[in-house]
Amino acid sequence: MSAAEAFGQYLELCRARRERSSLRGEAVRMLNDEAFRALPAAIEAYRGKSLDCLASCRPDVLFAPDYGVNIDALAMYADVAASFRCGIPQLQSNLVVVANDCIHIPEHLAGGTDGIEVYRLSEIPASLTDEVADVLSRTADSRNVAMLLNGLLLNDGIYVRITGTPERPLQIVNIFRSDMPMLTARRIIVHGLSGCHGQVLLCDHSQSPEVNHLNSQVADIVLERDAHLELYDIEESCASTHRVFNCNTVQEEASSFNVNTNFLSGGTSSNTWHIDTVGPRTETHLAGLAIASQDQTVDNRVILRHSSTYALSRQLFKYALYDNAHGGFGGRIIVEEGAEYTDAAQTDRNIIVGDTAHMEASPQLEIYCDEVKCSHGATTGQLDERALFYMQTRGIPLDTARRMLTQAFMADVVEQVRCEVLRQRLHILVEKRLSGAPGSCEKCAGACHGQTSNE
Amino acid sequence: MDDLLKVSDLRASIDGKEILRGINLTVKPGEVHAIMGPNGSGKSTFSGVLAGDPRFTVTGGTATLGGVDLLGLSPEDRSHEGLFLSFQYPVEIPGVTMVNFMRAAVNAKRKYLGQDPMSAAEFLKMMRQKRAVVELDNKLASRSVNEGFSGGEKKRNEIFQMAVLEPRLSILDETDSGLDIDALRIVAGGVNKLRTDRNATIVITHYQRLLDYIKPDFVHILYKGRIVYSGGPELALELEEKGYDWIKQQVEEQ
Repeated sequence: MSAAEAFGQYLELCRARRERSSLRGEAVRMLNDEAFRALPAAIEAYRGKSLDCLASCRPDVLFAPDYGVNIDALAMYADVAASFRCGIPQLQSNLVVVANDCIHIPEHLAGGTDGIEVYRLSEIPASLTDEVADVLSRTADSRNVAMLLNGLLLNDGIYVRITGTPERPLQIVNIFRSDMPMLTARRIIVHGLSGCHGQVLLCDHSQSPEVNHLNSQVADIVLERDAHLELYDIEESCASTHRVFNCNTVQEEASSFNVNTNFLSGGTSSNTWHIDTVGPRTETHLAGLAIASQDQTVDNRVILRHSSTYALSRQLFKYALYDNAHGGFGGRIIVEEGAEYTDAAQTDRNIIVGDTAHMEASPQLEIYCDEVKCSHGATTGQLDERALFYMQTRGIPLDTARRMLTQAFMADVVEQVRCEVLRQRLHILVEKRLSGAPGSCEKCAGACHGQTSNE
Repeated sequence: MDDLLKVSDLRASIDGKEILRGINLTVKPGEVHAIMGPNGSGKSTFSGVLAGDPRFTVTGGTATLGGVDLLGLSPEDRSHEGLFLSFQYPVEIPGVTMVNFMRAAVNAKRKYLGQDPMSAAEFLKMMRQKRAVVELDNKLASRSVNEGFSGGEKKRNEIFQMAVLEPRLSILDETDSGLDIDALRIVAGGVNKLRTDRNATIVITHYQRLLDYIKPDFVHILYKGRIVYSGGPELALELEEKGYDWIKQQVEEQ
């Protein structure tokens, strides 16, 4: 199938819906209009081979299968009780559940209490329509086919408006449950108002491990002056769930953006982190880990563009690849003219266990300015053989020794998580993953499944 | 009394080069054996082969511990059967704390022996007791294994692990290297405290110095991959006086 056919099938499908004008809400229609306007040209210009990402992570490959789409926006429910079992003990969060592409927001969040407002994109109050349009205009990328397709297929999304310092993190649990193959379009728009401090946690799960699923996910984020956002992303689905995730962020003066992305299980996960720091004195921290085994594939592309002075950015990505797993990391730092005193550093370290796993890393620096500090380092190797033998001589079985060393290797990525409860939880999730707990909730041998749901 | 360790005609190579060329050694419970020899004679290879170091290939011979074939076991099972190797260069393991490391080791052994894991309280109590054997600082427990430890701390840490694992046979590979006299006394004192009439120790060393503190019953001289000479403690003193050339000459003459 050609790229044009892969993408074109969805255009056809949505044209009829557009004629029925059955979409709900101004914001959803806006994204839909933009998709119809820009997609034909974007598809025309699309050259899969010119993309940096792994071949199996290209949008034309991931969108090619004939997935079902919830074209009539039928209501869908997930087993919310099951998702609670996957919850994080002791984490008092504001919980939003997305069942396939249907969004369930607890009522109290719309009221604007506790420094945060959360709306369904289909139900944005008229007073905020212009604001949403403004955010979207800043994060839009008219050449990004995956993002445009997301807008094309979208039934609904989430608008998060962080106005102050919410006491609780916002937790968005994406759950897939279906009897037939499906593509779900999910979108979250985060607007951090000046002076805010927010935490958003995204969790991806699947309750239908035997069914193919493409999770098309976009996050549009605008951080105003002195706004601070921590974004945590945990992908813990199954081999039949694939994901195309685009996170586009604009950072204004003195804002900070702290990302921690974690691939624990899934099929093929293709992620693009596009961050523009447009005001002076921004801070950007990107940390990511991936533990991939069997035929799992993980790709992270970072495009970090500094275009103002005194930007500070740090990236730390670590992968552990087993069996036939395939990892890709591309980190591009662009320091534009006029971005004096930028201080950007990037580290990518990977461990390959066995002979058949594969890693491709490509750090890239583009610097158009003097007076900057930029560094990058990428290494791929194996676990320390001497350490493994030393542990064995103390009676620690080889498998356990490998797990302990890999866990130690990942520890500094987990340590970047600022939310204490989540950090502890993530340490446990990593340990569980390394000791072989399967990805899907239903098969998970972990402590959360099978316990009573009132924990 | 039954033999604890019995090594017969043991041969091993690294990268196709034969290092051990037929070693015979028998150790009974309660005994201390010293293995001495010039650089490159195969001392560390011998200890590595017994512990199961994957860098070496065994090309012939046998080695049994308490009647169990050692060479057929994984390194971890050799440990569970009661073999302990104190490394000449203990390995640093960043990110793995001493306490997690020891808990994994202790519980793996208990599992092998069909026992339940130790409770946290029991475990911490034992760690406290064993630390006292080599006066190891409590603070090291929360640090990564050997990371940033001084030379003396590393060697004391080895003997501490030995105290925890209670091996039947301990091999101390150049435990005296890199130690000042005070550390040497503490380490040797720890080894002596752990001696019983049921366990045994093999001390591998260059110098007679360590043998002032850990008194051997037998001294063996390893040269070119073979034990060429065995004797009592007086042999170590003789070596100290005459050097290894005397042995080399004797071997060449044969």
